[in-house]
Amino acid sequence: MDTQKVDMFILSNGKFFESHHINMIRERLLAIDDSKWVAISTIQFKDPTTSLIVSILAGSMGIDRFIIGDSGLGVGKLLTCGGFGIWTIVDWFQIQKATREKNLEKIQQFLY
Amino acid sequence: MSFSRNKLYGIILTACIAGYTWIYLSCLWGIKGSRSVNMCFIKSITNIPCPSCGSTRSVLALINGRFLESLYLNPMGFLIAIIIFFAPIWIISDMVTKSSSFLMFYSKMERYLKKPAFSIPLILLVIINWIWNIKKGI
Repeated sequence: MDTQKVDMFILSNGKFFESHHINMIRERLLAIDDSKWVAISTIQFKDPTTSLIVSILAGSMGIDRFIIGDSGLGVGKLLTCGGFGIWTIVDWFQIQKATREKNLEKIQQFLY
Repeated sequence: MSFSRNKLYGIILTACIAGYTWIYLSCLWGIKGSRSVNMCFIKSITNIPCPSCGSTRSVLALINGRFLESLYLNPMGFLIAIIIFFAPIWIISDMVTKSSSFLMFYSKMERYLKKPAFSIPLILLVIINWIWNIKKGI
C-alpha cells in the first residue's frame, strides 16, 4: 500500500492502538496488497475512552468487559459484584489497554 | 478467545482461590444473614443492591444444605457454587493430561454469549434478578 494511505490511516486511527504497536501496524500495512485497503479502512474499532466511561459507571457489573468482547470475564465480574470491588478499581486503569489490545486483534485478521 | 491457555487457567484458579478464601472468612465471621460485611461497590455507594448481592449468603446456605433459602437469597449463588466447585477440578485435570478442553469450552461459551439469541434472555434474567433483589432488600 502506498505511504500516503497508510499514514492517513495511522493518523486517524492511532488512538485505538498501543503506541508500541503502531510501528508494527504501519510496516505491515505498507507490505500488504492494495486490494485490502477498503476492508481495512472500514473496520470499526472500539474507543478506549468509551470503555473507560462505561468502566467507571458500570464496572462493578462487568459491562465494560462485555463491551470490548470479553464475555467470559464479564460474567465473572458480574457474578462477583465486580470482583469484590477490587477488580473494578483495577479495571479503571486496565480497560483502555485491554480495549487497544482487542483492536489490535481485530486489525490483525486483515494484516496477515 | 484472546487468552492463552495458561493465562486463562491462572486467572480462573486465582479467582477460585479468592472465592474459597472469601467463603472461609465469611464462615469464620459468622455472616449468615444477620450481619454482613459490605464488599459491593454499588450497594455501599447507593444503598441499592446489585444483581449479585446476597450470593455469598446464598452459597453459605447451599453449603449448609438449605436449598430453598439459597434460592430465595440469590439464584446466582447456584451458578457461583457450580463454577467454583467444578472449574478447579476441570483445570487441574487438564493440566495433568496436558489437554486444553477447558479453554475450548470457555471459547465456545464466549461465542454463544455474543449471539443475541442467548445474550438477550440472559440479560433479561439478570435484570429480573436485580429487580427481585431490590424488592427483597437483600
